[in-house]
Amino acid sequence: MADVEGAVLTARSRVEVDGWQEAIRASCQPLLEAEAIEERYVERCIEMVEDEGPYVVVAPGIALAHARPEDGVKRLCLSVVTLAAPVEFGHSENDPVDLVFAFGSPDSTQHVSLLRNLARALQADLADKLRTANTVEEVESLIQGIVQDVKED
Amino acid sequence: MTTKGNPEKRLKVMTVCGVGMGSSLILRTTAEKALKQLGLEVDLEHVDVSSARSIDADVIIGQAMHTEEFEDAAPVVVTISDFTDVEALKGKLKEALEAQGWLT
Repeated sequence: MADVEGAVLTARSRVEVDGWQEAIRASCQPLLEAEAIEERYVERCIEMVEDEGPYVVVAPGIALAHARPEDGVKRLCLSVVTLAAPVEFGHSENDPVDLVFAFGSPDSTQHVSLLRNLARALQADLADKLRTANTVEEVESLIQGIVQDVKED
Repeated sequence: MTTKGNPEKRLKVMTVCGVGMGSSLILRTTAEKALKQLGLEVDLEHVDVSSARSIDADVIIGQAMHTEEFEDAAPVVVTISDFTDVEALKGKLKEALEAQGWLT
């Protein structure tokens, strides 16, 4: 619980990117600016996909970028970026991607409640709400809503 | 839930992904909901693919790129591309578990 309340949450809306690597960078950039992650974490997130394949595309249109705690995470954090135009990650079924989440966890457990609630929100209608959000404030409040849900969990 | 011939044993279900932190946890949450709706109580774990190779499980769930290498590693291997679709996963699990006689 305390973990989640201290989490860094960021949102960006209708970001223009060229390709999936840029999409991942865009999702990590606000976390970098908030000093929740180190520069090397961003590169690791990209390398993960290069090494392991596009499995981070967890649902149609949705990518969840992340690397490991030891790759440079300072604080528990979650970012969401909606893309102005979708990009291909090379996933056979879930491409193209227009919603990119990035998260970082300082250890192997702190992110669990946050991600479980993200999952529940995605099982419901979070993706549709993000796609139709017109302003960054709307996107921000949707992402804050996940934390509210965690507190109520 | 009980398995045939060993009524005391709960099914062990494993969700897999590359790192074992993010995607597999999202999938685990979806699998939990799907299995609960099927009326099954199981032991669930989310792991990375390399750890998964050394763990015995009754059911393995993941994306095609990960489940391909587990075809013979567990009695039930379920491939799903949408980790947030409870209904789709429930349908696949139901079919696979019924085929094993683990769900009636």
